[in-house]
Amino acid sequence: MSTTLFRTIQPNHFTLLTTALLRTRTKTSRHISVRCQTSTTTQQPRTSAPKNHGSNKLDEILKDYEAVIGIETHVQLSTSTKAFCSCPNSYGSHPNTSICPVCMGLPGALPVLSSKVVDFGVRLGLALNCSLSLKSKFDRKQYFYPDLPKGYQISQFDVPIASGGYVDVDIPLEFGGGHRRFGITRVHMEEDAGKLLHSDAGDYSQAMIVDLNRAGVPLLEIVSEPDMRSGVEAAEYGSEMQRIVRYLGVSNGNMQEGSLRCDVNISIRPIGQAEFGTKVEIKNLNAFSAMSRAIDYEITRQALLYNQGQADKIVTETRLWDEGAQKTVTMRKKEGLADYRYFPEPDLPEVILTQEYVDSIRASLPELPEAKRRRYEAMGLGIQDVLFLANDVSVAEYFDEVIGKGADVKSAANWLMSDIAAYLKNEELSISDVKLTPHELAELIAAIKDETISGKIGKQILFELLAKGGTVQGMIKEKDLITDPVEIEKMIMKVISESPKQLEQYRSGKTKLQGFFAGQVMKMSKGKANPALLNKILLEKLNAKE
Amino acid sequence: MTTRALLAAISGCPRRNIINSSTFSPSLHFQRQESRIIARSFSSDTNSSLPDISRLAETARISLTPAEIEECEPKIRQVIDWFGQLQQVDVNSVEPAIRAEMEGGSLREDAPQTFENRDNIRASIPSFDETYLKVPKVLNKE
Repeated sequence: MSTTLFRTIQPNHFTLLTTALLRTRTKTSRHISVRCQTSTTTQQPRTSAPKNHGSNKLDEILKDYEAVIGIETHVQLSTSTKAFCSCPNSYGSHPNTSICPVCMGLPGALPVLSSKVVDFGVRLGLALNCSLSLKSKFDRKQYFYPDLPKGYQISQFDVPIASGGYVDVDIPLEFGGGHRRFGITRVHMEEDAGKLLHSDAGDYSQAMIVDLNRAGVPLLEIVSEPDMRSGVEAAEYGSEMQRIVRYLGVSNGNMQEGSLRCDVNISIRPIGQAEFGTKVEIKNLNAFSAMSRAIDYEITRQALLYNQGQADKIVTETRLWDEGAQKTVTMRKKEGLADYRYFPEPDLPEVILTQEYVDSIRASLPELPEAKRRRYEAMGLGIQDVLFLANDVSVAEYFDEVIGKGADVKSAANWLMSDIAAYLKNEELSISDVKLTPHELAELIAAIKDETISGKIGKQILFELLAKGGTVQGMIKEKDLITDPVEIEKMIMKVISESPKQLEQYRSGKTKLQGFFAGQVMKMSKGKANPALLNKILLEKLNAKE
Repeated sequence: MTTRALLAAISGCPRRNIINSSTFSPSLHFQRQESRIIARSFSSDTNSSLPDISRLAETARISLTPAEIEECEPKIRQVIDWFGQLQQVDVNSVEPAIRAEMEGGSLREDAPQTFENRDNIRASIPSFDETYLKVPKVLNKE
């Protein structure tokens, strides 16, 4: 098995120190920064350089420079209401219909925290192996922007609900495979802002427009340690975040919808240098593949500047990923520094968790992707199969049900990965829509295994069951399979008489030719002969005429 | 600001909580290891780090003339000094609280309710135009 790379960076000691130092200097340290100004603590040597998309240029760069990547992920929670008011939380509603005095920030309105948000926060914190703060609080993060009705965002600044965790991932085989562990600095609760849009209408040209349906929607923000070293690792971290929130059912994790948003912080440093380089933030990433490409581009851009002796041109800034041009571009330069003037939210009490509450949630967590992958591996499945089956929680559940009925593990995996997956792709369905029940798939596998039907017939039955449902037994009856030994014997005798040469070869030792005869009988019967009976009788006949 | 950071470095400790990170200088700064208090330090330099009033006014989007800023400064200094009296209290044996009140509040059920008076809300927005709020074009996010 590949080595497990495990980074330990003492988190809070250096991070809060850095926050204090950086807040007066740099623009955004609105979260506890994870940059260490001094050297990192124990680092285990990497056994191989991180793989990327196979770009030779990048490989060359990575011989001299190391990329240090951290990711901030915002997860929109799939609760029924907003975080601090009872307005419905539903994507795609007519603009400015899910509003009330609280989320509009009207005078006198008071926020009330939803219990579901705390539940989801604890759930995600536990899933990311974090320590939970049994007491945490909310703070106001103050700034002015048209999509922020109150002029501040209710967030958690210095006492988040969860901190100090990690996530284990498997790098896809095509990028080198292997396990990685990435640290999680913190998870905290906050609310989303509204949507600021450009207007297309003629007279709007000097204005923009705002839809406040999204203002107040609950978010969980996950801040990672700067443990990723390549675009591939970052993309896999992002995918695992998506997998975990979907497994937990706390969010649908759709990047296209905006329910999962990732911002990347990246810097590079010459290999061997202890200090981190200048950090650049990249926003506007709509897919994990874009994340990976953006990182590769940014590594190349920064390395080029280093090589030209222009490392000082790399400034702390936010860049946008331009999907069309496939490059990062500077956002308009900001005037001055962001000072969010955090202070404890006076309108909200402490968030208090009891140990019993936390324990009950921990007990109700589903099997998470990492545990599933390890369990599937232990069952003897190859890593490729493991990664496929554990990727989608519905597929994994389906698979678990099938093998729960006693089906052979490898067969179940093969059917799911090949024919069933292809069917789902063609019909653009998800596994939950399919009419073939796990029970019937198990039946099918068993029927092929005990040679009631041939593999070919099995496939036919599979397609019919997928499309129309039904039972395996029913299909077998319908197909009018030949199970009468007398009839099979007749066909066998015919085939044998028609192939004297092969019979001769069989008699003189080429016993593998049994397959040839079986195949001929199958052809003659259009696949309907019962394989078990066929082989039994065939063997008798072939060996009898001795 | 820097004092706080240096103090943090000197008394290295796995867990720290900064209560108040505003630009005002007297900020309680304490360190905690699990539930024990290790050390407490105050940056009580009320003389040196008076906030930059004009910058403060800008972040709060309040426009002040230079004369008004002049006028404001001593008043703000007075307020800071007044709060500074709190630093004379010896709280070394007291567990820091993250909030003032004693109990946590009750939480809300996740049951959606449509606000009945949405029309009035929308009607009271001057720049509301059928579907959206019209806002001036903003160049820079703060």
